[in-house]
Amino acid sequence: MAQRAVWLISREPGTPFCSTVRFSRRYPTVEKRAKVFNGASYVPIPEDGPFLKALLFELRLLDDDEDFIESRDSCSHINKTSVYGLLIGGGELWPVVAFLKNNMIYACVPLVEQTLSPHPPLISISGISQGFELLFGVQDFLSLSQKNDTELNTKLNQLPDLLLQACPFGTLLDANLQNSLDSINFASVTHSQKQPAWKVGTYKGKPQVSISITEKVKSMQYDKQDIADTWQVVGTVTCKCDLEGIMPNVTISLSLPTNGSPLQDILVHPCVTSLDSAILTSSSIDAMDDSAFSGPYKFPLTPPLESFNLCYYTSQVPVPPILGFYQMKEEEIQVKITVNLKLHESVKNNFEFCEAHIPFYNRGPITHVEYKVSFGQLEVFREKSSLVWIIGQKFPKSMEINLSGTVTFGAKSHEKQSFDEICIGGTAYLKLHFRILDYTLTGCYADQHSVQVFASGKPKISTHRKLISSDYYIWNSKAPAPVTYGSLLLVRCHN
Amino acid sequence: MGPLSRETWAQRLAAFRASPSAFMAGPEGEDLGRDLLSELRSDKLSEQTKVSLLALSLEYPAQLWPDATAAEAAATSLLDTLVLLPPRPSALRRPLLLAATTALVAGDALGPTSEASRRLLPLLLGLASGRDLGRGFGPASEQRPLQATACECLRELESCKPGLLGGCLGLLRGLLGQEGPVQPLSLLLALALRNTLVIQARARARAGLQGLLMAGDTPSGGDPWNWALAEEGDARLQPQAPSWPAAEEECGLAVLEPTPEEARELRAAVAQLLDTSYLLTPVAQAQLLWLLGWALRGLRGQTPVLFKPQLVRLLGTAQLTLLHAVLALKAAFGEALFTAQDEALLLRRLTVAAQHPALPLPAHLFHLHCLLSFPENWPLGPTGEEAAPLLLGPRLCRGLLPSLLHDPMALLARLHLLCLLCAEDEEKEEKGQDWSPRHYLEELLAGLRQRAALDGGPRASATLCFQASYLVVQCLATQPTVLTPLTHGLARLYRARPVLAPHFVDLLDRVGPELGEPLRVALRQEVVSRPGRDEALRWHLQILAEVADGNAQSATLGFLGAAAAHCTDWGLQQALLRVCRALLRAGVGGGLADLLQALARQWEDPDGRDHARLYYILLAHLAGPKLGVALGPSPAAPALASSLVAENQGFAAVLMVQEAPAPIRLSVGPHRAAGPGPVLQLHVEVLEPAYSLELRFRVEGQVYAPLGAVHVPCLCPGRPCRPLLLPLQPRRPAPTRLDVRALYTTPTGLTCHAHLPPLPVNFADLFLPFPQAPEGDKLGFFEELWDSCLPKGAESRLWCPLGPQGLEALVSRHLEPFVVVAQPPTSYHIAIRLPPDSRLLLRLEAAQEDGVPVALRTDDWAVLPLAGDYLRGLSAAV
Repeated sequence: MAQRAVWLISREPGTPFCSTVRFSRRYPTVEKRAKVFNGASYVPIPEDGPFLKALLFELRLLDDDEDFIESRDSCSHINKTSVYGLLIGGGELWPVVAFLKNNMIYACVPLVEQTLSPHPPLISISGISQGFELLFGVQDFLSLSQKNDTELNTKLNQLPDLLLQACPFGTLLDANLQNSLDSINFASVTHSQKQPAWKVGTYKGKPQVSISITEKVKSMQYDKQDIADTWQVVGTVTCKCDLEGIMPNVTISLSLPTNGSPLQDILVHPCVTSLDSAILTSSSIDAMDDSAFSGPYKFPLTPPLESFNLCYYTSQVPVPPILGFYQMKEEEIQVKITVNLKLHESVKNNFEFCEAHIPFYNRGPITHVEYKVSFGQLEVFREKSSLVWIIGQKFPKSMEINLSGTVTFGAKSHEKQSFDEICIGGTAYLKLHFRILDYTLTGCYADQHSVQVFASGKPKISTHRKLISSDYYIWNSKAPAPVTYGSLLLVRCHN
Repeated sequence: MGPLSRETWAQRLAAFRASPSAFMAGPEGEDLGRDLLSELRSDKLSEQTKVSLLALSLEYPAQLWPDATAAEAAATSLLDTLVLLPPRPSALRRPLLLAATTALVAGDALGPTSEASRRLLPLLLGLASGRDLGRGFGPASEQRPLQATACECLRELESCKPGLLGGCLGLLRGLLGQEGPVQPLSLLLALALRNTLVIQARARARAGLQGLLMAGDTPSGGDPWNWALAEEGDARLQPQAPSWPAAEEECGLAVLEPTPEEARELRAAVAQLLDTSYLLTPVAQAQLLWLLGWALRGLRGQTPVLFKPQLVRLLGTAQLTLLHAVLALKAAFGEALFTAQDEALLLRRLTVAAQHPALPLPAHLFHLHCLLSFPENWPLGPTGEEAAPLLLGPRLCRGLLPSLLHDPMALLARLHLLCLLCAEDEEKEEKGQDWSPRHYLEELLAGLRQRAALDGGPRASATLCFQASYLVVQCLATQPTVLTPLTHGLARLYRARPVLAPHFVDLLDRVGPELGEPLRVALRQEVVSRPGRDEALRWHLQILAEVADGNAQSATLGFLGAAAAHCTDWGLQQALLRVCRALLRAGVGGGLADLLQALARQWEDPDGRDHARLYYILLAHLAGPKLGVALGPSPAAPALASSLVAENQGFAAVLMVQEAPAPIRLSVGPHRAAGPGPVLQLHVEVLEPAYSLELRFRVEGQVYAPLGAVHVPCLCPGRPCRPLLLPLQPRRPAPTRLDVRALYTTPTGLTCHAHLPPLPVNFADLFLPFPQAPEGDKLGFFEELWDSCLPKGAESRLWCPLGPQGLEALVSRHLEPFVVVAQPPTSYHIAIRLPPDSRLLLRLEAAQEDGVPVALRTDDWAVLPLAGDYLRGLSAAV
C-alpha cells in the first residue's frame, strides 16, 4: 500500500531534456521492506538525474525520435496502463506510475510486497491505486485555483510539508492535500471523538448550501448515410455546504422535468452515505427505454468542509443541441467550404458565447479568404491556418445559419505548421464552442426544496446551472472521418 | 565546523539533493549527518530550516548514518532534542518523532537491545494513548496531532517488525472505543491484528487471541512489546496486502481455528473497525479493507458478511482506491461475499468507470486492466492471463472499443479487448454482417497503417501501428480472416514508407509463423519487384536480409545484381552483403556465386570487395551445414549489436580450430598377437558428442614408423564404440609412448583440437608369434631358432619369480600364443617374433615352487634388458 518514492517533474523548454525535477520524496523505511519483499528482483530507487532521463525516454519525451530504438519502439513493448518499467543501471525499476498533465509529470513507485519477476498483475498490487490517488491528489492541489507560475511555485514549496502530513511514511493518509494544509492551520481546534479524518475542523457562521450543475455536451457529427452521429452529456454536480456541527446530515436531490433525459453512469463522492440501487444500476450500457429511472436522485451525505463534486453523470439526450454539416472540397491550393448549423428548438437560445472553430491542418498559412455568412462574423487567423466563426449570443429566428467560402493557402513550412495525424487530405472538422447559463440539456435541476438539512438553522440555498460544449466536432462529410464503434453500430440498428 | 547560516544550509541541502552519492563522496559528505544533528539544537536556525533538515533525514537516513551504531546514536540524539524542546508550540515535535522512527528502522537498529528503541517505543505508545507526558511534550493543542503521529510511527514500526504490537491489541481497541483519533488508531489496530493472526497461524501457536483482544486499557505489567512475536514475524515480512495468486499458497490462515469465544471477539473487533470506517479518508478506507479482507480470509468460522454493508456505498463512488479495494475483497472471498448478481453489478460499475468521461485517462486504463484481470467467481480460462470475464458480453464492451481518436495507451488497451471479443466471436460470426467486431478491427488497423504511412509523421504513430498489429497477432493468430488483410495491409504500408523497415524487421522477429511467413513472402515480393535503385535501397536491403531465403532466388539475385551498381558507399555495400550472407545461410548456390564474384570485381571499396570474395570462398569451399554455422549467429559474441563485429567473431570461432580440454578418453585394450604386424587395440569414450573425430599419433623417439590417423565419424557418450585398431610399424623392437591429439567437431559446429594424455606402448605389445611350426617337429623348429641366434645375438639366464598360481597359469596368461613346445606344468619353449626382424626365445624348465629359471636367447642384444625387465615383471602383473 505504500509508496517508495514520489516525483514531480515540470516540462520547461530551455532546461536539459526540457524537464526539471521540481519535487521528489523518498521513503527509506518502505525501501527497506521493498528490498526484503522483492528479493533478487529488487532495484533500488535511483537518484533524480538517472530517474528523470529514464522516465522521459519511456514516455517518449526525449527528442530522439529519429531512430528506431528497440527498447522503446519494439512492437512487443506494449503499455496499456500508465504504469511503466524503467531501465536503470542494468535493472528494471517497476512499477513506475506516471502521467503527464498540463506540462507536469507526476510519478511514483508503489511498493510491491512480493518478487517482481515475473511482474505480478497490477490489479493485485494495492499500492498502484494508492499511488494513482496520491498523484491525482497532488495534481488537484496544484491545479486548484492556480493562475500563474508564482502560485505554482508557492504550492510546490508547500508540498514537502503537506506530504509530511498526508504521507509521512509513504502510506497515503489523505489524498486531499488541501485538507492537510487546513489541518496544519486548524491545529488548535479541539476535536471531538467522532471527527472524520476528511474533515479537519467545523464551520462557524451562517448556514448555506450551494449546488451547481455543469453539463458538458460532446458530439461527433458526420452527415453521412452509413455513420450515425453521436452525442453525450456529462454532468458534474458541485456542492459547498457551510453548515455548523461536526457531522451535519444533508440530503440533496436532483430532479428532472417530465420530458427530461434520465441520468446514467452516476459516480458519487465518498461522503454520500447510501445509494438507491436504481441510481447504482442506471447505466448507459443498457438500451434506453421508458422504464429507465428518472429520479428524483437522492443523495444522503455528510458533507466535508470544502467544495466537493457530489456526483458525475452522463446522459443520452434525444437530439444534439446544434446539428450541422461541414463540407470541404480541396481544389489545388484552395479549399471550398460550406457549413450549416441548426439550433434545436428545444434548446435555450441564449448563449454566453457561441463560436465555430475551423482549423486547416497540414497546410500552409491562409493567404486569401472569400466567404459569405448568413449570420455572425468570421475571423481569419492566417498564420494558424484557421477560421473562427463568431456566432454570438443568439441564433436567428430561423434557428439555422450558413457559411460558405473559399480559402487559399500559401506554401507549407514545416517548422511553423503543426502536424496532425488525423486531418490528412480531406479529413477535417469544425469544432463548436458554446456556453449557455442557467440551463441544462437533460433538464436536471436542484431547487431549494430538494435540499434537506438536518442541522440547526435553516440554510440559505443557492443553485446554479450551465451547459458547456466540449469536444463538439462536425466532420467534413465529403471525406473519410474517424469513427467510433458506436457510430457504426447505431446505423446498423437504425437501418 | 561552526554553526551554519540558513542560506548555507539551503545551499548544502540543494547540493545534496542534486546527487546524494556525489555529495557524500565529496569533502562535506562525512560531516553532514553529525552537523545536521547538532544544528537541530542550535538557537540560530529557524524552525522552518530545522524542519527541512529533518525532512532530509527522513529521506536519506542510510546516507547520513550508514550503520546501526550511527543510526542508534542519531535516534538517541533526535530523542534528546525532542525532550529538550521548550514547552511551547513547536513544528519540530512531529518531524522529530518521524525522524527518530525512520533512523531506527532504516539503520537496522530497532530491537530489544537498542537503548533508543527502548526510549522511543514507550514514548510513542504513551503519546498514542493520549496520556499526559508532562510539559516537555508540548501544549494541549499539540496533543491531538502528536497522538496521530505517534500512531503512524507505531504503524510503520509494526509494518517493518510485524508482531511488535501483538501485545497492544486490547489497548488499541480500548483507545478506538474512547476518544482517540479514529483513522490512525483504526489503521494501526487493523495492521497489528492482521499481523498477529498471520504470525500465529504460521507458528501454529496461539497465545490466546481472545486475551490479546480483551486486554485492558493499559498493558498489564512489564513490556507491551512483543519482541518474541516480532522475531517470528521478522523471519519473513508480512505483505500487508498480498498479491492474489501468491496469497493462495502463502496466507494459510485456515490452520488457525479460533475458539467460538475468540471468533466472537475477533468479529467484534472487525465490526468495530468497519462501523467507523466511513470516518476515514477514502484512501485509508481502502487500506483498511485490504488489511481486514486478507486478515479474515480463510479464517475458519469467519464469514465475510461483515463487509457487505459497506459494499453498496463503495461501489457508488468514483474513487480508484475504493473500487480497487472492493476488487481485492472479491478476490479474497469470491462467492462467499459476492453472488452472481453482485458480480454482474461490480462488472457493470467497472465498465462504467473504465470509460466515464469524468474520470482521468490513467484511471480509465487502470479500470480497463482490472476488467481484463477481473477476479471471477468461476473463472474459465487459465489464471494469470488477461481475458474478458464471462459476464462481460459484447453489449457491455461497446463503449470500450478503440477508435483512432484515442490516446495510444487507451487504444492499445481497448484494442486488446476488441481482439478478445473477436476471438470469442470467431464461431458465432455471421456472413454478410457489415459491422462485426472483426470488420471494425480491420478498419481500425487500416486507419493506423494510414497514419503510420504519412510522410514525416512521428515515429510514435508508426510504433503504435506495429504494436497494434503485434497485439492482434498475439490474440488472433489462428484466424486467417484477420491475418490475410493484415499481411496485405502491412505490405502496402511498406510500399508507401520503406523507412519503416526497422519496425518490420522487429515485427518479423517477434511474431510467430502465422503472420511471419506470409509477411516475409509479401515483403520479399514487394522489394524484389522494384528496380533496386531508388533512394530507399538501404531499407530494401535491410528487409531482404531479414526475409531472403531459398525461395524466389532468381528474382532476389536479379534485384541484388541491379542494386549492386548503386551501392556506392560502404554502408550500402555492407547491407547488400548482409543479404548475401542470408542467402548463403539459406543454401542458395550457383547464382549467388556469380553475384559474389561480380561484386568482388566490381566494387571499389576494398572492404566490400574483400567481404564479397570471402563469401565467395566460403561458398565454394564449405559444405552446407558448416557454412550455416559459419554464418549463423556467433556463439562467441551473441550480445554484440554490430553485425560486422559479430560476423568477424563468428568467423574466427567457426573457421578456426578451438583449443579445448579433451572430452575424450583413450585406453589400450588387450593385446592381439596375430597378423603380420603388431596392432594396438584402442578404446575410445567421450563425455559429449563428437563428430568427425580424427586421432593423430606421434611416436616418441621415432622408434616406429610414423602412424596414420584414425577417423571416427561420430561418437556419443554412453554408446559403445567398436575398438579402433592402430597398426604399429616398429623400426626397433622397443616400447615407447604415443603422443595423441584429437580433432573433432562439436554439436554446435565448432572444430576443436585437444591434446590427450600420452598412450604407452609396452614391450609385450610388440610380440608376435612365429608362423606355424611344422607339425610333429616343433622341438626341432625351436632348436633351429635357438641355435640361429648366436653368435650374432646374446644369451642370458635369469630367474623368473612365480606367484602362488604357478608356471602354468603364468604362461597361459601371458605367453600362450608364443609357446612352441609345452610340457606342462614344468617346461615350455617359447619363440617370440619382434618386428621388424628380431626374435626372442625362452626356455622355461624345471620350475620350482617359487620361480622358474629361464634361459633366453635373442638375435638382437638390445632386446636383452627389455626381456629381462619383462620377465621379472610378469609375476607382479598377474
